[in-house]
Amino acid sequence: MDAPRETFYDVIRRQGITRRSFVKFCSLTAASLGLGANGAATVAHALETKPRIPVIWMHGLECTCCSESFIRSAHPLVKDVVLSMISLDYDDTIMAAAGHQADAILQETRQKYKGQYILAVEGNPPLNENGMYCIDGGRPFVEKLTEMAADAMAVIAWGACASWGCVQAAKPNPTQAVPIDKVIRDKPIIKVPGCPPIAEVMTGVVGYVVTFGRLPELDRQGRPKMFYSQRIHDKCYRRPHFDAGQFVEAWDDEGARQGHCLYKMGCKGPTTYNACSTTRWNGGVSFPIQSGHGCIGCSEDAFWDKGSFYDRLTNISAFGIEANADQIGMVAAGTVAAGLAVHAGVTAVRRLTDKSGPHGH
Amino acid sequence: MTRLVVGPFNRVEGDLEVTLDVADGVVAAARVSAPMFRGFERILVGRPPGDALAIVPRICGICSVSQSMAAVAALRAVAGVVPPPNGALAADLSHAAENIADHLTHFYLFFMPDFCRDEYASEPWFDDVAARFKAIEGSAAGELLPARAQLLHVLGIIAGKWPHSLAFRSGGTTRGLDLGETMRLIAAVAQLRGFLERVLFAAPLEEVAALSDRAALDAFAEAPRTRNGDFALFLRLARDLRLDRLGRGTTGLMSYGAYRGAGEALFRGGLYDPTTGGTGEIAPERIAEDVTSTWLADGPVHPAEADTHPAVHKPEAYGWAKAPRLDGRPVEVGALARQVVDGAPLARALVADGGSNVAARVVARLFEVARVALAMETWARGLEIGRPFCIPDLPSPDGAAAGLVEAARGSLGHWVTIRNGETARYQIIAPTTWNFSPRDARGVPGPLEQALVGTPVGERGARAAAIQHVVRSFDPCMVCTAH
Repeated sequence: MDAPRETFYDVIRRQGITRRSFVKFCSLTAASLGLGANGAATVAHALETKPRIPVIWMHGLECTCCSESFIRSAHPLVKDVVLSMISLDYDDTIMAAAGHQADAILQETRQKYKGQYILAVEGNPPLNENGMYCIDGGRPFVEKLTEMAADAMAVIAWGACASWGCVQAAKPNPTQAVPIDKVIRDKPIIKVPGCPPIAEVMTGVVGYVVTFGRLPELDRQGRPKMFYSQRIHDKCYRRPHFDAGQFVEAWDDEGARQGHCLYKMGCKGPTTYNACSTTRWNGGVSFPIQSGHGCIGCSEDAFWDKGSFYDRLTNISAFGIEANADQIGMVAAGTVAAGLAVHAGVTAVRRLTDKSGPHGH
Repeated sequence: MTRLVVGPFNRVEGDLEVTLDVADGVVAAARVSAPMFRGFERILVGRPPGDALAIVPRICGICSVSQSMAAVAALRAVAGVVPPPNGALAADLSHAAENIADHLTHFYLFFMPDFCRDEYASEPWFDDVAARFKAIEGSAAGELLPARAQLLHVLGIIAGKWPHSLAFRSGGTTRGLDLGETMRLIAAVAQLRGFLERVLFAAPLEEVAALSDRAALDAFAEAPRTRNGDFALFLRLARDLRLDRLGRGTTGLMSYGAYRGAGEALFRGGLYDPTTGGTGEIAPERIAEDVTSTWLADGPVHPAEADTHPAVHKPEAYGWAKAPRLDGRPVEVGALARQVVDGAPLARALVADGGSNVAARVVARLFEVARVALAMETWARGLEIGRPFCIPDLPSPDGAAAGLVEAARGSLGHWVTIRNGETARYQIIAPTTWNFSPRDARGVPGPLEQALVGTPVGERGARAAAIQHVVRSFDPCMVCTAH
């Protein structure tokens, strides 16, 4: 590196953001990541001393729902900080440059920051017909993707498309759309599944990665433990009704009006790992179960090909955790008291831990 | 004659490439290509019909409610279901929130930043426009994004999550709203009015909705009271650059009619003929899709009979979008078409002199925002607490029907056939499929391909801003286009 690279703090100040706003951002980031008492100082120190980490955001076969979710994060400073400070060096949905000028930015970033940038991928590559189902700038997306991944420090797989394949990979998968880890094999990949992922989960992950320059602790499926370690069902506000055997039988029936459990309407909350029932959607306003519709499990692998979205879990075999839904019922019947105890803990602030720790960098 | 390739386009939804033949600094011919295909029309076949309600929203992350509404309309028509008034109103409120959000996103984040390019640096309005709209740096985005997020709380309240909401059913919306939620809904709509009246229009919505001719628009652009709004800023810029002469479209303008929840459609449907100035009925059975220029195999052309089979080795094809035609002709769809067909005097005035154009498309979009925001207030107050929002699901009977709705970008149709309780056929024609259609068997170009002809590119070639203005004036959604 010829000249010292500028830090996030340099960029933030150059853009006219005050020190006060910067400190606020650090506190919020630390809080959203569950970093504890010294978290804000840790975040601030990292942003003041570490070189800014460029982020490249690429779109493959997708619907842009991940970007849509991201730009509506309830993070109060998202418009200033996440979009412009953390600097998406390349994002074809919101950027100013066009056409081959945009392609040039890609190549420039790749060379200048070799091994130092984060590649965020929305969507996935289709492999049939040599990638012809997704042509970007005259070339198959799969080529551009593997090329940009080769020089990345790490890769973020946004959403169900990049993580698992999503609905375009549903039978008969006409384009042979595959998750990105089928074509990127030699880089650390963090999967942030969901269709789309929750905005605050996205800003939390990107905030962590660019602040500390590494991925947070991941589970065996490659998901950040801080957001995907609990099932929707574990923290669902309707859980007491499940435990009490009170169910919705038809849309908007009396049970629905009483807020009863949606299990019989096909809710996949018991087998879905995501933060919907705690973080919720649209700035904490609600989430699908709160709107009276069951969870379809959109953050789980192959959610699109597990039978009807409205089948009860009884009809689905090969789900882990509880062996089948009959047992769910039996376990539930025996654990009403335990369920209430768990429920009492819902209001406690979620502990978002990273054992390798921001403190150990 | 030189051939230019413009693309990949940024600040549009999805991937787009445009090939231009340029002679003497002016576009002589254009070919528009949708280079992305996923195959939803094949994926839906063989599944339970109701599962379409969870799959079709995922065609598009910015118009997911529109896709839901088209599927709901089609399934509703097959089953003969009539939702209770609350469910219909809640669905219209949701759809309106998404459509307004899309219109605002287009204006603030996608369309206006192109006027901040260096080639406009000497224009009298440049400093004002650049300070407001420059991509990522301009001050407007900082006001828009929070207001837009607030507006989309309407979706949060009614549907739990957006995009890809699940609450929309044939029988209505899944959950009755209580008094508190209805009050929050009314508050969200009031906040929308606040943003629009303070930032976008600098005028009451009623005043914008009452604009009726070019003279009124000119006065609005200059009046001390309204000139500080972003709308007036655009009107002055459009007048200076003569955007009404750019991107001329001479095809018919079509709308299926929009927002039928309260009974009568808020905007009535039909086909407007710019040569006669008259409006006629649409005969849906006269809609066909031509695949001459598409990487798809030939077959039946009516969407109720068509299938989708990729055929990638077709030398004459240049994209994944089909070419929809009404009575064998291309038509333009979108907010301008909707307002013209509905008979809004301002919209009629904007196309009276030579058809649709860049300025008219943008003005109509913002004009429509004012009209729909006013309607949302009425609908929100029309919800009756304690009354049903949804009737129970019944097994889908076999049959076939079309669901024809208006998305933000124009006419959206889903054609479904149900046999033995499964989806046997599913075809989709999206708004940008109409607007950005390729050439058909007779060699007739689609509406954008026609509108680009005559665009001056000068020495800047593929980098000319005029091309961007014409393309973006249609607010393309490419992921919907070829789905």
